Amino acid sequence: MRAELQELWKYRELLLTLIERELRIRYKNSFIGFFWSLLNPLITMLVMWLVFKFFLNNRTESFSAYIFAAYLPYMFFQMTLMDSAQSILSSMPVIKKVYFPREVLPLATIGANFVHFLLALFVYFLFLLAVWVKNPGRSPFTETLIFLPVLIVIQLCLTTGLSLMISALNTFYEDVKYMVGVILYLMFFLSPIMYFSEQVRYSQALGDRAELVYVLYHLNPIAMLCTAYRKLMLAPVSPMVGDQRLPYLPLDWALLGVCAGISVATLFAGYAVFNRLKWRFMERP
Amino acid sequence: MSVLRVEKIAKTFALSHNGGGSLKTALLWWKRRKLEKLEVLREISFEVQPGECVALVGKNGAGKSTLLSLIAKVYKPSSGSIRVDGRLAPLLELGAGFHPDLTGAENILFNGVILGLTRQETRNRMAEIVAFSGIGSHIDAPVRTYSSGMLARLGFSIAVHVDADLLIVDEVLAVGDFEFEQKCFQRLKEFRTAGGAILFVSHDTDSVSRIADRAIWLEQGTVRLSGPTEEVLRGYLSGVV
Repeated sequence: MRAELQELWKYRELLLTLIERELRIRYKNSFIGFFWSLLNPLITMLVMWLVFKFFLNNRTESFSAYIFAAYLPYMFFQMTLMDSAQSILSSMPVIKKVYFPREVLPLATIGANFVHFLLALFVYFLFLLAVWVKNPGRSPFTETLIFLPVLIVIQLCLTTGLSLMISALNTFYEDVKYMVGVILYLMFFLSPIMYFSEQVRYSQALGDRAELVYVLYHLNPIAMLCTAYRKLMLAPVSPMVGDQRLPYLPLDWALLGVCAGISVATLFAGYAVFNRLKWRFMERP
Repeated sequence: MSVLRVEKIAKTFALSHNGGGSLKTALLWWKRRKLEKLEVLREISFEVQPGECVALVGKNGAGKSTLLSLIAKVYKPSSGSIRVDGRLAPLLELGAGFHPDLTGAENILFNGVILGLTRQETRNRMAEIVAFSGIGSHIDAPVRTYSSGMLARLGFSIAVHVDADLLIVDEVLAVGDFEFEQKCFQRLKEFRTAGGAILFVSHDTDSVSRIADRAIWLEQGTVRLSGPTEEVLRGYLSGVV
């Protein structure tokens, strides 16, 4: 693996060029171009706010801030995995002719999506600041916000590992991308995005088993990350379910540690799978 | 000191009859698939010296393109070794490395980097590459608006401007109209005088005898004959040694 990484380092210029190229291509033939990257999260935020506030009648304070704290990282995760599934196949004509470390292709997809994620986070923070200015009594942030880069690194490990694995496997079996699509769709509901993780812990339907389910639920690294983004960035909130207020649960650092362990292991496993398969991309049956 | 040294190369492919590509076929046929192997190259050895121009000739399916791909490190050989001293530039056929929605200039940047230049080096050569290709002001238009002649000229122009030590060409040695073709041959001559080597595959025996010093005749994955161009071509065309 060390030799592979040295080789990759030699081709860092290519990686940068590819990231830039992907960012250019995405909005190449559109009129307002790069602003779509900002407009997309803005419009989504607006519509979700309307739905939750007026249709679902959610009465948790500034709930939309909590939704987006999990929604944006999840979108980054989802978009990257979906895009990277095609990253090798769509570059087949070049792969057939020129040598370069094949991993730069999925890595460039990750890089381009990461830039969009950072842009979306930027818009999100502007939105939080705007709310704060309007309503100065209550700060939307907590001091653990400084751990945000750590969370991002954990998520990058997880995403990179999975992307490498998916891009390599999808080159041989295109069923993989459909499977990934279904799994990501299910994971969206099995992660605390449209609801709060407290609702899992204090579920009345689960009764005594709620505590166990809560732990199992957070062994899923992307669910854990969604919970962690919320609890590390934003001021604690007690979610309202109907007329009942659930107690706030602080972040379980042990579970976050498990999530970090799984993510790093995924990174190594993904790179190992990729390196095993990359010489056969050209010879796929 | 040779630019390229190929030693006892062999390449075997797994053969597939069902098209493959889905998990279902993989699960259903994994047993049978393992049995089918295709030996494309066997025990190939040769060297290329700086400044030399070597042609690979042979019938379709003789293994010429596979050999080029092995040298370009696109495949891994099943056995044997390949050593390249210096930079290798494969001539990408008809814009294989181009993205249709990007402009010519943006594509030059990407192609230069993929062939081993840094971005700064590519930018420094941009004007020269554009001038040689003769594309002029169209360089800022998306590549999808280019004619096939323009694509070929741009591809050729990039490949000969990356300071390669070994140029690998599959079938398209000179492109464009008569005038540009002359320019290509002129440029290749300069390239060789500066010490660059060329390895190319062609079915066009006229251009082979025109520019190659040496030829290698491949048949069914082995070297049938290797030596001076005229001699090898005579054997190849008559079908006997």
